[in-house]
Amino acid sequence: MYSEALLTGKNLPLSEALAMGGETTLLGLAIVFAVLIILMLVLMLFKVVFYKDPSKQTVSVDTAKSVEPAAEIMENTTDEEELVAVLTAAVAASLNTSTYNLRIKSYRRTDNKMPAWNKAGVTETINNRF
Amino acid sequence: MIESFANFLQNTGFYALISTGPVDAIKTIIMIAIACILLYLAIVKKFEPLLLLPIAFGMLLSNLPMIKDSSAIMMHTEFFTDPQYMIEGKYIDVGYICRHGGLLDLLYLGVKLGIYPPLIFVGIGCMTDFGPLIANPKSILLGAAAQFGVFFTFVGALVLSALIPSINFGVKEAASIGIIGGADGPTAIYVTKSLAPALLPAIAVAAYSYMALIPVIQPPIMKLMTRKKDRMVVMEQLRTVSKTEKILFPIIVTIVVALIIPDAVSLVGCLMLGNLMKESGVVDRLSKMAQNELMNIITLFLGVTVGATATASSFLSAQTIGIIVLGLIAFCFSTVGGLFLGDIMCWLTKGKVNPLIGSAGVSAVPMAARVSQVVGQKENPANFLLMHAMGPNVAGVIGSAVAAGVFLAMFGNL
Repeated sequence: MYSEALLTGKNLPLSEALAMGGETTLLGLAIVFAVLIILMLVLMLFKVVFYKDPSKQTVSVDTAKSVEPAAEIMENTTDEEELVAVLTAAVAASLNTSTYNLRIKSYRRTDNKMPAWNKAGVTETINNRF
Repeated sequence: MIESFANFLQNTGFYALISTGPVDAIKTIIMIAIACILLYLAIVKKFEPLLLLPIAFGMLLSNLPMIKDSSAIMMHTEFFTDPQYMIEGKYIDVGYICRHGGLLDLLYLGVKLGIYPPLIFVGIGCMTDFGPLIANPKSILLGAAAQFGVFFTFVGALVLSALIPSINFGVKEAASIGIIGGADGPTAIYVTKSLAPALLPAIAVAAYSYMALIPVIQPPIMKLMTRKKDRMVVMEQLRTVSKTEKILFPIIVTIVVALIIPDAVSLVGCLMLGNLMKESGVVDRLSKMAQNELMNIITLFLGVTVGATATASSFLSAQTIGIIVLGLIAFCFSTVGGLFLGDIMCWLTKGKVNPLIGSAGVSAVPMAARVSQVVGQKENPANFLLMHAMGPNVAGVIGSAVAAGVFLAMFGNL
């Protein structure tokens, strides 16, 4: 099926090497993609069959209505000064300086829901094993 | 008295070293030096020490100077490669090896008969969480694209063989070298022991060394292949995956792979067996055993024996240098393949996919995913790509096992 040169690699002409290589690359990548695309379709089917989006569930609508105003009130009543004090202290502690050297101009919640200490822990672990 | 002392002297390593002649003696010394360098890399530089240390010591053990036919010889590579010792010049003679082999010969049977790599895959399966992949099915394609390096290097090996007369790689050797790009040690060993056993030590050393170097190899390519704006993309949080899905996944993958590429089943099937043991939660004891004791024992056997196959005649050649160079090319182009598809997906989804997760498509779990995370976080400190990168990462394991199956199906029976 394959020439002697292709089997042993001795006196292999460049053209034959490239032809064989190109053929195998196309066929091989096609098979790898075919298998994984089939698996991808199966996984997409999984989502349709098994996954219920919690935000679209009808049950949660009532509770959401009653919770939302409460949350708003909570936010409004949060003491801004207290929060700024906590932030200043935290920044001062991590920078090893005094709170008198710092002025918090603005603060913003990041998108990630993971708590900051959790995040710091994960980052540290990754860097340790890197 | 004098006679027995003379006999003792003739049995020593010194005598063996001197009596072999200067060329062989120098080769032996070079091999021991290489083993010591690898030990240094494993112990001081901590390059995958769990594997490199046994590999290097196995290399040391089998290259110690011994007189011919000494009963102290632990490894006889000729039993496995020389047709003279084989049945009909093709099949290894297990009975002969049991009668005349040393400790490492007996342990090497586990590699030669294809026992160790699938057993390691059982352990890996127990430690793998396919959750991120199930949650984001598209990421499985990145695991396929990252096999580009495998095939690119296959071409590269054949071209090298055509251009340089002293390097002779046939299709079987080229396939074994290409699979280094799968960045998966057991898969590389599994393919090589079937297709090109003589290259086993060089390929194993190259595969494991480059795997340890992934944090050095990948980041420059990642920066070159992606735009800063895309690297900063924060991806949507993954959906939760139910236990039913996690249990069904390994069963379905095994069936699908078996239907298309049966040669990959011994690897993929064992990986999925381990995963099912973990996810089902009913065989906790087996799962713990597979990922700890079993895996550790097999890793030791595999490492020592693969290292022991590195003899001066097979290792000290231009081919080994070719393999080291081609192995690096394989890793680079696998990374390129994954990033390229990552870029396309980023463009198609209008910036919802961070292309950096593409490089995690080379297996090397979880190192490649950590690299995506670290590079991504440098651009945007609030970005957490780790779980998103784990999807392509575990897909890469399946992808490289399928690529291995393709090679075995094409060239296994030649």
